[in-house]
Amino acid sequence: MTTDSVLLQVANLRTRYPVRRSIASRLAGRPRQWVRAVDGVSFSLRRGEMVALVGESGCGKTTTAQTILRMVESSGGTITVDGRDITALPERRLRPLRRGIQMVYQDPYESLDPRFRVRQTIAEPLLVHGIGGSRRERDALISSALERAGLAPASLYLNRYPHELSGGQRQRVAIAAALALDPVLLLADEPVSMLDVSVRAGVLSLLDALRKDGRLGVLMITHDLSTAAHFADRIAVMYLGRIVEYGPAKQVVNDPRHPYTKALLSVVPDRDPRVRRAAQILRGETPNPVSIPPGCRFKPRCPIAEDRCAETDPPLAAPASDDASGREVACILT
Amino acid sequence: MSDVTQIGLRGGSALLEVRDLHVWFRLPGGGELHAVQGVGFDLAAGERFGLVGESGCGKTTTILAMMGLLPPNATVSGEVRLAGADILAGGEDSVRPHRWTDIAMVFQGAMNALNPVRTVISQIAEPIVLHGAAGAARGNKDRAGAARKRAGELLELVGIPAAAGTRYPHEFSGGMRQRAAIAMALACEPKVLLADEPTTALDVMVQAQIMDLLVRLSEELGLALVLVTHDLPVVAQVCQRAAVMYAGEIVETGSTDELFHDTRHPYTRLLFAATPDLYSNDEVTSIPGTPPRLDRPITGCPFLPRCDSVVSRCESERPLLRAVGAAQVAASQRAGFLAGPLDVHPGHAAACHRNEPVESATTIPRPRPPLAEEVA
Repeated sequence: MTTDSVLLQVANLRTRYPVRRSIASRLAGRPRQWVRAVDGVSFSLRRGEMVALVGESGCGKTTTAQTILRMVESSGGTITVDGRDITALPERRLRPLRRGIQMVYQDPYESLDPRFRVRQTIAEPLLVHGIGGSRRERDALISSALERAGLAPASLYLNRYPHELSGGQRQRVAIAAALALDPVLLLADEPVSMLDVSVRAGVLSLLDALRKDGRLGVLMITHDLSTAAHFADRIAVMYLGRIVEYGPAKQVVNDPRHPYTKALLSVVPDRDPRVRRAAQILRGETPNPVSIPPGCRFKPRCPIAEDRCAETDPPLAAPASDDASGREVACILT
Repeated sequence: MSDVTQIGLRGGSALLEVRDLHVWFRLPGGGELHAVQGVGFDLAAGERFGLVGESGCGKTTTILAMMGLLPPNATVSGEVRLAGADILAGGEDSVRPHRWTDIAMVFQGAMNALNPVRTVISQIAEPIVLHGAAGAARGNKDRAGAARKRAGELLELVGIPAAAGTRYPHEFSGGMRQRAAIAMALACEPKVLLADEPTTALDVMVQAQIMDLLVRLSEELGLALVLVTHDLPVVAQVCQRAAVMYAGEIVETGSTDELFHDTRHPYTRLLFAATPDLYSNDEVTSIPGTPPRLDRPITGCPFLPRCDSVVSRCESERPLLRAVGAAQVAASQRAGFLAGPLDVHPGHAAACHRNEPVESATTIPRPRPPLAEEVA
């Protein structure tokens, strides 16, 4: 791997939100508390690659994406896109770069303006970024974006309203609006979880095809490990603001090393009723990211934790027993 | 009721029997939508039955009809027999005595429908007082106290410490709220629990906890469970039997094992193919097209426009749900192919012309006609 093929490099990224304090606690001089939503995340993504960020709700997946997009400000670490550090870039200089990073949201029933025809929905980002001088030029860009998103012929869809489209078609329109700007990086936040089972595969295959033609990289956020296993090249498993396991998708799924990954995989139901996995159901739910446990953050729910786990916060590193496969695990017991 | 709708049903011994259930909705602009078109299934005590299919296929409408909870613009026909007695026969008057006490439901999104300004335990105690269940019968001086005690037991039953019941819904996590919603449905000790997408909005770990709870409840309390979901793997792991619904009717039913290993309807097969599996390398494919509109009559097979294994007969004749596999052999041995009710259990049945025992001129394979979007 050469460094110039790395499209997105995230290093030790941190994002925190202040917890609202009452006047009383402010007067009493109690220290300000923070939700550490993203708490030291590092990974990279190459052009033509799809990386899946998986984890339970509240683990910081979406905040990670929002921070990369600079919709929320980071409190530490760096974000490098296409070799440029954008972490502290002022808004004015960020804007032209933003064009290269586009987001596809979870719910195409909410993300599309119901009063906008498909043409308008896709023209809007072009106008914002001042792309396509004439209407004719814009129309050509819109049509090619729609067809790239699998809505062909574009003329069939240009004048439709979202309510005239199926869920899968809506999500394709949202993807087309992102593609119109010719991005290098697509952030897809649970792109199919609101769609019917029958059309999910189509939207996922579209994302798969888009990145395989090598022009862009895709960061997909999902809670569905089966989807991640099928479509992503690499999987990053997040727990409480931190990546706890990161590696090639097939390896993470077939040979998980972190006890959290193992537990998550063990509870994914199999479609074959004859396959019964020994489900390792973790009790309780993810702790509050305001008070992250000391040492290993997974220790309170970990089935194999030892006393020493409370002493060190394990970094994401290649396990001692591993070949040079590029896998990293944040656990001192592997 | 036609004989064929009975195939695959057990009759007699079942706790709950749904027979030839139809639901029509009157539409505001005139016209009718035939949402449920002759659904039938059986349920024994302690049995877990899955109803699966895409959105709009009639799953939720089916179970709402069983509860007598459809809006006023709905017309229902057919039977829902509970221990032999039809509870739909007399309209609202005949359903009311059974609703919540015999047959209860966990609504989709119930976990988000708890009253935010009342404690969880008081919300569970309310139906107990209202229905006079569990020692809270009329005449008992301390009805409220008895109901509260029972509500505490119910919370413990679903894995929440009774003491936590004095908290408000916003102090509960999503998983705990779903448990509370299940506890509430169990308040009057029903025999049948209908659960509409009970794990859909939950994380995989919490989903596993709730599935585990539902299995445990059905085993320990002998509760019969109808699980409505679009999630095939959840049904495969939780239920013994299931029915796949399409366009308002059951297109295939059988044990979950038969549905996966001896699939007899192309829709079932395509649904499985559209569901990614953790360890399989099979390509994940979407199903082309969309389900048919149900506000106009359907000629031929409703799945025809999306089907990948069409025969000439599919266009002219709507396939009926018929016994297949082992159930088919048993049926034809008894009294010819289209025999009456079967006592074969579990009955595997599918509504597809491709399953006819003898190949005929009308079952020659032919290509699927192109969809509107493909023509364009």
